[in-house]
Amino acid sequence: MEAYLVAIGIIALIYMLLSLGLTLQYGLTGLINFGHVGFYAIGAYTSALLAMKGVPLVFSFAAAAALAALAAWPIGLISLRLRDDYFAIVTLGFSEVVRIVVTSEQWLTSGVQGIPGIPQLYGGIGGFGGQAAVFATLFAVTLIGIWMIRRIARSPFGRIIEAIRDNEEAVQALGKDPARFKIQVLVVGAALAGIAGAFYAHYITYIVPDQFIPLVTFYVWMAIIMGGVGRVSGAVVGTAILMLFLEGSRFLRDVVPGISEVNMASVRIGVVGLLLIGFIMFRPQGLMGDYTKR
Amino acid sequence: MFYAQLIVNGLVQGLVIGLAALSITLVFGIARFPNAATGDTMTLGAYAALSTHTVTGSIVLGGAGALVAAALVSLLAYFAVFRRLAERPVVALLVASIGVAFVLRAALAVIFGHSQQVFQVPLSRPFVFGSVRVAPLDLQIAAVALASLAVVFALLYLTPIGRQMRAVADNRDLARVSGIRPGRVMVALWLLAGAVAGIAGMMLGIKTIVSPEFGWEMLLPSFTAAILGGIGSPAGAVLAGLVLGVAKEISTPVVGFTYKIALAFIIMLGVLLIRPRGLFGRVEGAR
Repeated sequence: MEAYLVAIGIIALIYMLLSLGLTLQYGLTGLINFGHVGFYAIGAYTSALLAMKGVPLVFSFAAAAALAALAAWPIGLISLRLRDDYFAIVTLGFSEVVRIVVTSEQWLTSGVQGIPGIPQLYGGIGGFGGQAAVFATLFAVTLIGIWMIRRIARSPFGRIIEAIRDNEEAVQALGKDPARFKIQVLVVGAALAGIAGAFYAHYITYIVPDQFIPLVTFYVWMAIIMGGVGRVSGAVVGTAILMLFLEGSRFLRDVVPGISEVNMASVRIGVVGLLLIGFIMFRPQGLMGDYTKR
Repeated sequence: MFYAQLIVNGLVQGLVIGLAALSITLVFGIARFPNAATGDTMTLGAYAALSTHTVTGSIVLGGAGALVAAALVSLLAYFAVFRRLAERPVVALLVASIGVAFVLRAALAVIFGHSQQVFQVPLSRPFVFGSVRVAPLDLQIAAVALASLAVVFALLYLTPIGRQMRAVADNRDLARVSGIRPGRVMVALWLLAGAVAGIAGMMLGIKTIVSPEFGWEMLLPSFTAAILGGIGSPAGAVLAGLVLGVAKEISTPVVGFTYKIALAFIIMLGVLLIRPRGLFGRVEGAR
């Protein structure tokens, strides 16, 4: 039972890191990033491949964050001067292209066969102790992430990005270049997603391109929309509900007989769709959101 | 002559992309958001055509089935979701359209299963022109696509409701004060956009293998074509679809099969960098 709870906790914290990145990008700044999973995939593959070559995990994690951030940079440069809806399309396309690249470049990623046997974070400890140590590390990293986002939100930088979200023209009129701030936010959020990806790869120890489909991006969107956009508390609550939903749907399959795994996956996609539509229509501020604002 | 063959193949592909892009550009121009449910509306069209075709054995009735089913579901999505979000920021519509896409895909997967299905069309000997071979099926598909395009353009440019749609696309407020009722225009828009996507889905289904995900995978090339053609320009979307279809086929020997989709992304970035309003877009466009 403890092992199960720790396993859930690890996955929940990985989604938490992804939600924090999106909270910074969409919640605070208003960037419609539909390609979050792309940066997550870059982080996972970078760290996994480096670790398989014998690079110490500290450096492979750092490289995962750096490469994800580096990938965000040109995307931001090209598309952040465009309208919001175009940015959404470009990032969605980016994440699909990342998946195509890891599927096709078999010499590097062994394509659809994936990379098995990725070293665990505390492989030396083994058993439950190792899992608990992974959980503790992730917990610490998540706390640092939360602290960082709160710091950013309260800094002058945070006031500017929130102003960009609320009224971009006004920020421009004050002589600030919104695109520059947006790129920085995009890069930081991508680095967070990259770290989340690295944790995922070293926890699951086996990655294939199919784990990085756009659905993952919209799991995270669902989490922050349900929890309440633009608030760290919203991201926390939303991630908790997301985990309940993902795990609950697994239990449901055990309880209700006659539902195959593929059908359950379809039902899950359908429920994600309904929740996205429902919250956007009836409760756009989310559960923890501010009632006074739209 | 090898390339001539690729161009012919690309043109047929391009007609499918062009129709999908037409659906996207109509919604983008008039309802003002990129509809991510377009791909799954195509899937719906393909399955509707597949079922009708299996029951009746007629490809024409299959097409009618795709058209009607996709148009009705698209209208339903408008009334249930998009109409109520019309005054909200574009992100609300975008996220909701992703939601609609997921719901559609889940429903289709549960109803029709995950196994890949194909249209049972008779094999036939290709026509040979010099060194270029054209399958009669491709000619039929092209004919259906061209006929649909003719109907859509006639609707847009020759009928009162088409003129009203174009007026709303140009300037919504001005259209309103000129006495155009937005409700009727939107109903016409969603029926038309759904029908076009449904036909595109059926054509793609005949060319390839139908599965619940196959429409979603057309989303990126279709968005690219819509942007390349210029948002809100029906002719641009079709032309850009053809360009993209041919470019994808010609590039295949060079970049390989899987990178065909990535090519669409590169083209999209290039267009957004160099000419964000596309070939025939309005100046206010993208920035």
